[in-house]
Amino acid sequence: MFAPDGVTRAHYRLLDQDIHALGAQALADRQKTLERSFLLQGITFTVYGAGSATERIIPTDLFPRIIPAAEWAVIETGLIQRLKALNLFLADIYGEQKILADGIIPRDLILGCPAYRRQMKHLFVPHQAYVNVCGSDLVRGQDGAFFVLEDNLRVPSGVSYMLANRDASRRTFPNTFREAGVRPVERYPDLLLSTLKSMAERPDAQVVVLTPGVYNAAYYEHAYLARLMGVPLVEGRDLTAHDNRVYMRTTAGLRPVDVIYRRVDDDFTDPLAFRHESSLGVAGLFNAYRAGQVVICNAPGTGVADDKAVYAYVPSIIRYYLDEDAILPNVKTFLCRESAQLSHVLANLDKLVVKAVGASGGYGMLVGPHASKAEREAFAEALKADPENYVAQPTIQISTAPCLMDGHIEPRHVDLRPFILSGEKVVVTPGALTRVALRRGSLVVNSSQGGGSKDTWVLAPSPAKLEAP
Amino acid sequence: MMLARVADSLYWLGRYAERAEHMARLAVVMLNATLDRTDAADQAARIALAAVARGAATEFADAQAAARVLALDRESAASVVASLASARENARQVRDQITTESWEQLNFLYLRATGIAAEAAFAADAPDFLQRIIADLHQFKGAAEATMSHGEGWRFMLTGVYIERAQLMAQLLKVCFGGGRGGPIDDHVAQVSLLRMACALEPYLRVYTADINARLILEFLMFDEDFPRSIRFSTERIQEYLAHLSAGRDLGRHDPLRLAGRLNARLTYADIDEVEGGGAGPLLAAVVEACIAVDKAIHETFVAYPIEMRLPA
Repeated sequence: MFAPDGVTRAHYRLLDQDIHALGAQALADRQKTLERSFLLQGITFTVYGAGSATERIIPTDLFPRIIPAAEWAVIETGLIQRLKALNLFLADIYGEQKILADGIIPRDLILGCPAYRRQMKHLFVPHQAYVNVCGSDLVRGQDGAFFVLEDNLRVPSGVSYMLANRDASRRTFPNTFREAGVRPVERYPDLLLSTLKSMAERPDAQVVVLTPGVYNAAYYEHAYLARLMGVPLVEGRDLTAHDNRVYMRTTAGLRPVDVIYRRVDDDFTDPLAFRHESSLGVAGLFNAYRAGQVVICNAPGTGVADDKAVYAYVPSIIRYYLDEDAILPNVKTFLCRESAQLSHVLANLDKLVVKAVGASGGYGMLVGPHASKAEREAFAEALKADPENYVAQPTIQISTAPCLMDGHIEPRHVDLRPFILSGEKVVVTPGALTRVALRRGSLVVNSSQGGGSKDTWVLAPSPAKLEAP
Repeated sequence: MMLARVADSLYWLGRYAERAEHMARLAVVMLNATLDRTDAADQAARIALAAVARGAATEFADAQAAARVLALDRESAASVVASLASARENARQVRDQITTESWEQLNFLYLRATGIAAEAAFAADAPDFLQRIIADLHQFKGAAEATMSHGEGWRFMLTGVYIERAQLMAQLLKVCFGGGRGGPIDDHVAQVSLLRMACALEPYLRVYTADINARLILEFLMFDEDFPRSIRFSTERIQEYLAHLSAGRDLGRHDPLRLAGRLNARLTYADIDEVEGGGAGPLLAAVVEACIAVDKAIHETFVAYPIEMRLPA
């Protein structure tokens, strides 16, 4: 929000005035109203504690984060480039495996990856769109440029917060919102539905959202998207496969299903193809998929491309398939599977962030500069025992944004999760979920680790309107 | 055409919401009656507790303790908060099918009735606490009525409401007129309490004036055509909604419409003299049994049907 010299950046000036005009009391009141409205709407996630489950709202900050049009243009083209390359990469490794034959990526890294699904080999995926919904995590570094921290290509969530936060911030700062020329995000459900439909042959395809059920932390989002797309929200027990066709059980008998936007992990889609003891999935679903009678979105096995070790190769992947340089850079990543890089990591543990390759959600990681000596030593042992399982990155000074904390405005670290849809076309919704690390100084933004969120305003390209006199 | 699981959840949402309202009303009437410190008041408490298949009132220290169990006991499946929690859980299952207006109303009500302040609010003024729940449930029904499409899902929900209502009303009347121990209630205060438990005092007075007697109460609560809580009103709605829901369908062996139609015919053409002569017990027991049978038939026809019979041609 502020330039290094403490002056408010141009695109924040109107908001700054609005905040000052409102004053502390009005802001606190609006924060309360907002939290209450989230609770009433049931925009909650469930925290499982000792023997009890409580519903909590994800803490939401009132102040929007603003991204000017020129910056967004870079993000948008960068994300489209990246997703195109990743889809081509998936089509290749589940097809001819040229990139492995050419030695760009080590074969064992891909074929040995826990998220690699050999069942997907030589399976036809329309438009080569393996990843239909992608939620990449970006951060802004010290030099002000955005780079990609992580690609989420399996079942990314958070888009309902993007939409709910927008509702809230529009109500909180109606004047600034009107003046600023904020690009709308409300078309997301509509775009998602056409993306999903473009994966089927028939234009009147029956689309459903597959949820693990009400006990899933993201259930609210599943129901929300189904409601806004106007399609049934189904659970595994509502579906049945018969003669390579998938049906849903309705009050009037079985009805065929063409496209399944699944919000369950690969392993729980079909007990016959994947994890046998799972009771969530639909037996026979994968065979119907192989037979081309139903489409699963995202395709199973996309996790191999957002693996934390494969991440290090994404710039090479982009160059290999598109013959372009990556527009959005990666964070420098050390692969502990390479012995030279491992010794560098071990020697610099106090400066690096070390992550387990298979883990997500902020679990299984060591933030070197914040860890105690004992923690670092314990982690070093784990590293040496199983180097293939770890990658390391330099700690990045990620950007902060002002947040309302107990009545005071304080800086907190933030990241940015935009949502990219890919079917017949690739589209980026002009908006994002900005995740906030609520503890002062903390760099971890995951909601399971005490993260919050705020709205993100992407401005239409006419910045002159914004400059307040 | 809708998902079978969704239809089932909407049906149970209706049943639980109706149950919560009924239990809240029984508890309020019981609390108000006991303010009088008369034998009749004890009778009212006994009626309320017997109607929910609880033991005698003497099990509890006082009416407040009994009302507390009816209202707040999460362990008891029939209590107000347990019913509200089940209603809300079913609504959450089908969150994509009910409008935001009705969901928020139900969620708000649930959060207040189960929140940390609930116990204190109940202890401070139990009748007020319960009255607000009833008023909130009316708002929920009103919001649903005004905003939801009155299509298939709506009909499943209302079928649930009316089956629950017919069954609860039959149980309540069975306690009072079923020929159990003590015979039919004859005390004026107890009779007025019964009418209040059925939310029927004012509508009754408009039809029969202040002439309150057992025969007329029975006639009104069983057979009145226009009073929305009479058994006959409920059975007529059940038949009406099931007729819509089954239109153009092969209902198979378990035909809920046939069962519902037979029940409704029995109430439509019953005669109060006959019922009074032989005691209302058998007919009321038949109503409860028929409600259970219709419930089972709905489940087997619309929800848990065998797959091989229903593949599209």
